[in-house]
Amino acid sequence: MQDQGFMKSTIGKDFLYGGLVFLTICAFLGFLSNPATRDVIINNYYDIGMFFGIVGLGLFFIGIGARTPGVIAGGAIGSFIVLTAPQDALVRYLSLSALLFGIGMYGMIKSRNAVRVLMSIELMLNAVNINLIAFSRFVDPVQVKGQLFAIFILTVAAAEAAVGLAIVLAVYRNMSTVDMNKFNLLKW
Amino acid sequence: MDQYMILKDYVSSADAETALFYVIAILAISLSVGVISDRNIIRSGFILIGVFGAISGLFLMLQAQFLALAQVMIYAVGITLVVVIALMLTNPRSEREAVITEGDEFSQETGAVQFIQRLQQGTPAFVAVFSFFTIYLAIRSESWTPVTEKVSTDNVKVLGEALTTVYSLPFEFASVLLLAALIGAIMLAKAEKRQPAIESAED
Repeated sequence: MQDQGFMKSTIGKDFLYGGLVFLTICAFLGFLSNPATRDVIINNYYDIGMFFGIVGLGLFFIGIGARTPGVIAGGAIGSFIVLTAPQDALVRYLSLSALLFGIGMYGMIKSRNAVRVLMSIELMLNAVNINLIAFSRFVDPVQVKGQLFAIFILTVAAAEAAVGLAIVLAVYRNMSTVDMNKFNLLKW
Repeated sequence: MDQYMILKDYVSSADAETALFYVIAILAISLSVGVISDRNIIRSGFILIGVFGAISGLFLMLQAQFLALAQVMIYAVGITLVVVIALMLTNPRSEREAVITEGDEFSQETGAVQFIQRLQQGTPAFVAVFSFFTIYLAIRSESWTPVTEKVSTDNVKVLGEALTTVYSLPFEFASVLLLAALIGAIMLAKAEKRQPAIESAED
């Protein structure tokens, strides 16, 4: 492992991917800052193309052996900046909430530990809260109805966490494991 | 060099709120990736506090002061505490394997079978990226007309009045739901009595 060199090691590939994404962001912001090229970018949907480029590059790097979490973090931050830089504030908040929702969904499906599944669900509920509060700030600032709904979501999240963790404890007592792949209680 | 000067002007012309938003957003994204991918699950439970703190910072930027503090109290203290205690009770050391594991059950098969296995493992990522992108396109294609006025400074008062007048019925239902969840959680988590002892006594 030692004689392979830094760029061939796993963490080197992570850093290489991060550096490529960073260069992409810098180039994108550079083109966006210039008024002549800004219209070209916005009219031709270059940012969406760059998003697909970042995703494809991430798939390529996972294919050649970079670690998945590093690639997910770099790709998520890069695509978030690229997709929201030309937009206004409301779209930025909503995109952040969509991104956190996507990360939570990925974690919920991929996790092996049942408690981590619950953590991912909390993440998704938080993303929804950001959504509602952004709406109450930018669309309805007088009667802040979005914050009301966020309070109710907070309540439901607390109840869900208590019941979910109690279920996890009960299952652990019966089966001595919290591995999702070993649960077959509800199979028909 | 010219391009660099234009970029510098662009970055410095962005206001402080945008800069702060991006700092907090990047913090929240990277910490949440840490939550779903840390090998040590106790540590990911503590990283979750950081995610909730970052999101409460976002709430402060959105002028929802009450919800920011409620977020810190309920999520960052309450729910995370419950999660960590549940982790300690379920003995996470015995299953310390990574969450996002590549090919633990990768068989030695080659060719098409391995390709299909890889596709199966890539499905969650595809679903997540696809749903994010769909939501993003829906958000972006809508032409929002944001109002320019600020949130009123007494929005906590507005919230309290709405909760006790117009939304009093959902508020009561929320309290009943909490009570039911509490009782249900106690019922589920309570250790059952050992029945065999009684049976042997009868024998």
